[in-house]
Amino acid sequence: MSPLVRRPLAWTVGFGLTAGLLIVIQSALLAWVINRVVMDSAGLAQVWPVLAALLPLFLLRFALARASERTAFNAGAEIRRTLRAKLLRHIQALGPAWLKNQSSGDLANSVVDGVDALEGFFARWLPNRALTTFLPLAILVVVFPTDWVSGLVLVITAPLIPVFMILIGLGAEELNQKQWHQLARLSARFLDTLQGLTTIRLFNAGAREAAVVARLSESYRQSTMKVLRVAFLSSVVLEFLSTISIAVVAVLIGFRLLYGQMHFQPGFFVLLLAPEFYLPLRTLGTHYHARMEAIGAAERIMQVLETPLPDDSTATEPLHPATTYNLRFSAVRCRYDNETPALDGLDLDVPGGAITALVGSSGAGKSTLINLLLGFVHAESGQIRVNDQDLTSINAGDWLRHVAWVPQRAHVFAGSVLDNIRLGMQDAPPEAVREAARQAGADDFIEALPDGYDTQLGERGAGLSGGQIQRIALARAFLKDAPIVLLDEPTANLDGQSQALIHDAILRLAEGRTILLVAHRLGTVRLAQQIAVLEQGRVAEVGRHGDLLARNGRYAQLLQAEVEA
Amino acid sequence: MKRDEDTMAPENPQQAKDDLRRLLALYRPYWRWMAAGILLSLTTVLANIGLMAVAGWFIAAMAIAGAAGATLNYFTPAALIRAFAIVRTGGRYLERLVTHEATFRLLAELRVWFFTRIEPLAPARLGTLRGSDLLNRIQADIDSLNHIYLRVLVPVIVGAIGVVLIVGVMGFFSLPVAFTTFMFLLCAGVGLPWLLLRRGREPGRQSITQRAALRDTLVDGFQGLAELRVYGADASHADRADANAERLIAAQADLSRLTGWSQGVQILCATLAMWAALILAIPAVRSGTLHAPDIAMLALFVLASFEAVMPLPLAMQMLGESLAAARRIFTLVDCQPAVIEPEVPAAPSTQPDLRLEDVYFRYGEDRPWALEALNLDLPFGHRLAVVGASGAGKSSLLNLLVRFWDCQEGSIRLGGRELRDYAADTIRSQFAVLSQDPYLFNATIRENLLLARPDADQATLEAACRTAQLHDFLTTLPQGYDTPIGEAGARLSGGQARRLAIARALLLDAPILILDEPTEGLDTLTERDLLQAIGELMRGRSVLLITHRLGGLANLVDDVVVLENGKQVQQGKPAELAQSPGAYKTLHDALAGLSA
Repeated sequence: MSPLVRRPLAWTVGFGLTAGLLIVIQSALLAWVINRVVMDSAGLAQVWPVLAALLPLFLLRFALARASERTAFNAGAEIRRTLRAKLLRHIQALGPAWLKNQSSGDLANSVVDGVDALEGFFARWLPNRALTTFLPLAILVVVFPTDWVSGLVLVITAPLIPVFMILIGLGAEELNQKQWHQLARLSARFLDTLQGLTTIRLFNAGAREAAVVARLSESYRQSTMKVLRVAFLSSVVLEFLSTISIAVVAVLIGFRLLYGQMHFQPGFFVLLLAPEFYLPLRTLGTHYHARMEAIGAAERIMQVLETPLPDDSTATEPLHPATTYNLRFSAVRCRYDNETPALDGLDLDVPGGAITALVGSSGAGKSTLINLLLGFVHAESGQIRVNDQDLTSINAGDWLRHVAWVPQRAHVFAGSVLDNIRLGMQDAPPEAVREAARQAGADDFIEALPDGYDTQLGERGAGLSGGQIQRIALARAFLKDAPIVLLDEPTANLDGQSQALIHDAILRLAEGRTILLVAHRLGTVRLAQQIAVLEQGRVAEVGRHGDLLARNGRYAQLLQAEVEA
Repeated sequence: MKRDEDTMAPENPQQAKDDLRRLLALYRPYWRWMAAGILLSLTTVLANIGLMAVAGWFIAAMAIAGAAGATLNYFTPAALIRAFAIVRTGGRYLERLVTHEATFRLLAELRVWFFTRIEPLAPARLGTLRGSDLLNRIQADIDSLNHIYLRVLVPVIVGAIGVVLIVGVMGFFSLPVAFTTFMFLLCAGVGLPWLLLRRGREPGRQSITQRAALRDTLVDGFQGLAELRVYGADASHADRADANAERLIAAQADLSRLTGWSQGVQILCATLAMWAALILAIPAVRSGTLHAPDIAMLALFVLASFEAVMPLPLAMQMLGESLAAARRIFTLVDCQPAVIEPEVPAAPSTQPDLRLEDVYFRYGEDRPWALEALNLDLPFGHRLAVVGASGAGKSSLLNLLVRFWDCQEGSIRLGGRELRDYAADTIRSQFAVLSQDPYLFNATIRENLLLARPDADQATLEAACRTAQLHDFLTTLPQGYDTPIGEAGARLSGGQARRLAIARALLLDAPILILDEPTEGLDTLTERDLLQAIGELMRGRSVLLITHRLGGLANLVDDVVVLENGKQVQQGKPAELAQSPGAYKTLHDALAGLSA
């Protein structure tokens, strides 16, 4: 915990202790007043000064309640602020390859709601736990000299509370976690049902699904109630011990008063303090749920934060300036997790200033090769050289400044068309953006949008067709004007006319740049000066379209398959 | 469900009242559980107040008796103290069990209710609901409807009845004390919550809006992280998220200040009420209208009585949030379905010939025609391809055929009868749809298959999977047919997912097959393999192929219709169209030029 947070938390505890002290004083004054009235038949005139002294006490308690809430909030806010920023940057650093196996919605929930849930632990649970230790002790210090018998009752019952709570809590906590996961599964299932509603209707399965939802909810209720019957016992033990000991204190004081073994004033004073002795524990109980929630959220957050970042300590050199860049892959091996290698000893020369196309069936390693160049994944062995430099020694930021990329499914960010094109180049003049859009064949349809370049694009570029999004992504690449351009199946999922438009744009982009193009449809391949056929993570064939066709090898087979399809 | 509809509390009080009434009607089946929970909660609160009050009286009376050397019937108060202590303990336990039981029963009820109400609305009225974040919020909304009982109804009813009983008993001892205490209870239990609700509305709205905005920014940044990185915009995007988070914290800080203030006011109300009670009771003791021990009782009684109103500020805040959630849910389920079921549905036809005549269709009065003067003829057993670029109206056609929508003009006949004469279930049992993006449920392979035919036995499933060329793959899996396939089928490859969808369509065994770009997004070799399985599926069925690509499946049909901007521009045999000039030839040549 940072010192930044320790201080407001210390203040919160301090305010809580002061408030406890004020309650002791308030009780003492109250006991004095009641004693004078009951035992000495005093009137208002006799007790007036003490009654008046109570008023500023009340005001002080009012002020303390506000102050402790504020410091607790500030501590929680600071934690959330720091952690949220750290978590977000860690996720960014883990990169797209890692994100691919995660649900963006879940991650966003962790960063927003998960981090917020931690407030329950830091701002509520921690200070209250401190108060649970100190306040009852402080009250005992006051009660013992006043009435050692009552003090003894409190001392005997108090330690039983944590003992019982731990005993019951241990079992309940484990069960609770299980329930938590079951609830999460149930919610996920319901969500899945809603998302697949159209499919469910197509299969006329609505009534059946409703029955499943009912059945799952019912079984969740039964198993959860089984857990709660045990879990609630812990709160009952607390309630039982605190209530019973108040009753015992009252009855013991009463009989000693009757037999004249005690004065009324200390008796009443102790009775007023007895509930306060258990109050912090009971308050802590109400934060128990928040604590569970925080632990659940923290588990997920730590899981993300503890995922190690790729080591880039060797990547320090700047990219040596050159007019064109050629890329040379030698014996590159790369794999995701522990699966079979996606690239298995790949050798390939990509000449500078020309278009090289990569073809091959899915899983042959085309996308992995692109991901390697983008630094999203890292090679297990082998080497990639950029002109005369080893890629792993080049500073990642500097390298990426020289690379433009058009992915298979480009992402459109919430914001204007203009901002979407000048992504990362916010100070690019609108004229340059327009020129880039013209080059990408996007200017025409952008001008036709309701607000032209200022048209706001919503969630996932609603309102734009696949081909239009693709051209926006191409415009980004034109604007960036990078010497190396990676195109990942830029015409997948497009109809023939959109494909033709994008092909023209690619040919314009190719002038003077090194282009590596992953092709799905072999039509795109015709744009390339060199074609590499990938198979099981290696290069099976390299050459020009005509040469490869004449060789009647793997390339010819692929082409044949496409014509038949 | 747009963001601007997010409000903390509905502005319209009549609307809020109606919503609450409607919500309570949903709760009705469980009113016994709910009433029992409220009763137990009330008992528990009163037992604690009673314990403190009786204890105060008891020791004061014992002290006076002791000082005077008199005797006292101490059995009754001592027994009362013990009884209150036991009722408090047992009551608390039962209360929590019963209220939670009621809550979980409600949750099940609400989910089923919501599902059955929303099912007829898909997909026509739920177009904007596709994002999983929105669905997540719907789920949170349903949960918060469910919380109205535990967090609003219980404290409000217990508070109301509790205050009446407390003040009544107090009045038995001293009317002025009862009256002032009542005033302070009103202050803490009604005035304070009301004020908080008013003051909290704006920061509450802010915190919801900022939370949603932050989540959107984050999801946007995660989904586009690759682009952000390559274009060097990741740092500035993170800064933007930070700024957004800061606005959220600012709104939460406003709410927290209100919370602190409200806790302070509660303390102030309780202590001032006790102070006022002393001022009133001390002269009464002196004048003999109040017994001396009663003042000790009253002091503790007044202090403890505020336990009954303590949860009310939070309850009112929850009410505001829950009513806003209720409004969103009710708005959604109150949508009119896009199609109206016939009162007397026609019997399924035996000869499922499909015929469209002069069909006009658009998604709204102010929208352009999605389909204009469309004529299609698909006699049973024939194969027809509808070809067109994206936006030509192909998906609209699909929506009309399975009757997710109705056309505005023209007629669609199935087996000689108008489509709108059939029950929706009957229509959909005639169609099997194989799309480019089949939705797979996060369940096992078996469960995904059973969706199509719930009573299918293992042999039937296997036969379908064999035809779909999926069976051999399934036998290599350790869990076989019971393998979970992950979120949206994430653990299957693209080709395997399509095969699963083909097997599902085979199991459905409908006479008309609609193929909506069934091989889109697959690589060439996978596609070629898949076509064999699709060929099996086509056997013995009418086929309607919807595609933007020529070649492949489009070679296997009897007739082709070319759509452009919702209009039918060409029609004929595939071979004829390829020769004559027109849209079809243009598309065809464009493709040929690229791949020849």
